[in-house]
Amino acid sequence: MIDIFTVVVPHLLMGIAVWRLIHRDDLDNDPLLPGAASAFDRARRAFRPAPDKNSTPGA
Amino acid sequence: MLNLFLTAFVTAFLAAGVRRPFLFVLAYAYIDVVAPQKVTWGFLAHVPVSLIAFICAVTAWAVAENKDGIRFSPRQFVLLMLLVYCGLTTRSADFPEEAFEKWGWVWKALVFAMFLPLTLRTRLRIEAFALFMVLSVGVIVIGGGIKTLAGGGGYGELKLLVNDNQGLYEGSIISTVAVCVMPLALWLARHGTIFRPSWLVWLFAMGICFACLLMPVGTQARTGLVCAAVLGMLMLRTSKKRFTYIAVIAALGLVAVPLLPQSFTERMSTIGNHQSDQSASTRVAVWKWTIEFAKTHPFGGGFNAYLQNAVSYDTVKAEKAGDNNTAIETERIVEKGRAYHSSYFEMLGEQGYPGLGLWLLLHLMGVVHMELIRRRFAKDPPAELAWVTPLADALQQAQIVYLFGGAFVGIAFQPFCYMLVGLQCGLSAYIGRVKRAAPKPFRAPRKEAVPLPASA
Repeated sequence: MIDIFTVVVPHLLMGIAVWRLIHRDDLDNDPLLPGAASAFDRARRAFRPAPDKNSTPGA
Repeated sequence: MLNLFLTAFVTAFLAAGVRRPFLFVLAYAYIDVVAPQKVTWGFLAHVPVSLIAFICAVTAWAVAENKDGIRFSPRQFVLLMLLVYCGLTTRSADFPEEAFEKWGWVWKALVFAMFLPLTLRTRLRIEAFALFMVLSVGVIVIGGGIKTLAGGGGYGELKLLVNDNQGLYEGSIISTVAVCVMPLALWLARHGTIFRPSWLVWLFAMGICFACLLMPVGTQARTGLVCAAVLGMLMLRTSKKRFTYIAVIAALGLVAVPLLPQSFTERMSTIGNHQSDQSASTRVAVWKWTIEFAKTHPFGGGFNAYLQNAVSYDTVKAEKAGDNNTAIETERIVEKGRAYHSSYFEMLGEQGYPGLGLWLLLHLMGVVHMELIRRRFAKDPPAELAWVTPLADALQQAQIVYLFGGAFVGIAFQPFCYMLVGLQCGLSAYIGRVKRAAPKPFRAPRKEAVPLPASA
């Protein structure tokens, strides 16, 4: 029981951390440093769906 | 169930790396610390997950990462020299087979420490790596702490997640490493952005720190107590309310001491008298042997050279013999092939004076670099760099604790400690990039304004 607890709690937190990291742009581009996207980043952004022009930001 | 859970976690972690290549670096660090392949008995136990994560991390960095502005720092160069030197001593080792076995994981730890700073390009990456170091150690210490509280501790008796007494699952090593991660856990609670400061985050950080402090109690490793004392002294330096800090530590000590198990206090009392304890006497005898060995082998005997040692010493025991008399009993102990029980002597015996010199240089440079960084941003730092000095402090404290703990445990090549070195190099490199990216004025400002002529 203790072993299950000690495995599950940190792994759960690591899982949440990974999920949050995936969705953060500053993982690859630091706001204090001049942005220079790699070829991989540019390709990834090119394949990302364009935002809907009719949608209101924050709505 | 645990088997499936860990397999699913590792698979998902590696899959996430496909989307964000840096996650492979975190996955490697996690696998290296927790060793999920040892915890499980199924699929993971038969797959070289550590090697897979390592290859993925390096390949993803080579193919997909932005490499603008990265530089090979002097400390990375020292690491490279240490790697080459260790490779050379392995070729001429006294025990080639055993030396090659250790070299099999040492080279990976050194290469990863050199590689890590190249990937730590952003503040978030530095934070993420520190977070995964703390949480990965948490996988070991949370259970260890709970078992200690439940009375399951004892010298060589505390059952951690993996019961093989190797690497971070060895009592003295986990006690040292646990104390090392405490400053990082506190820094994350104060300055984290992945888990922002809140009462829940603080509660978890304090829980981790408490579990870390329980590791020396549970394992009854004297090294851990020394490390905790050293960290307490170092934290006094950075504490803003020093008298309050001293009062709190003293009060906690007074409350904790009566609650400690008797076996723990008895074992800790042998710190000052090594002759009454066989384990401590062995260390002293092996250290003396190593000094003599280095006289005839100044370039070291290669990895695991200790296997050729044979030491003998006397243990002295004092027992009450009634009527206020004490019976002194001396016993002659002869031992062979005993480990160094000290990182300094491990380096001296295995890598000789050049290896010891490189290793000391690597760590002393770390302490100095962190000191320079913490001073640079100590007074009125810009808001976006307010986290730098506390992190430099935490990394310096962790390293000094490691250097003290390493005096009594053979962890000169412990991969976790090289992650700490890599993280320090990453922070130094990040600060260098920020400095270079700062806009420079077109003209240097004048020291004194020259008044305009009145006729103008």
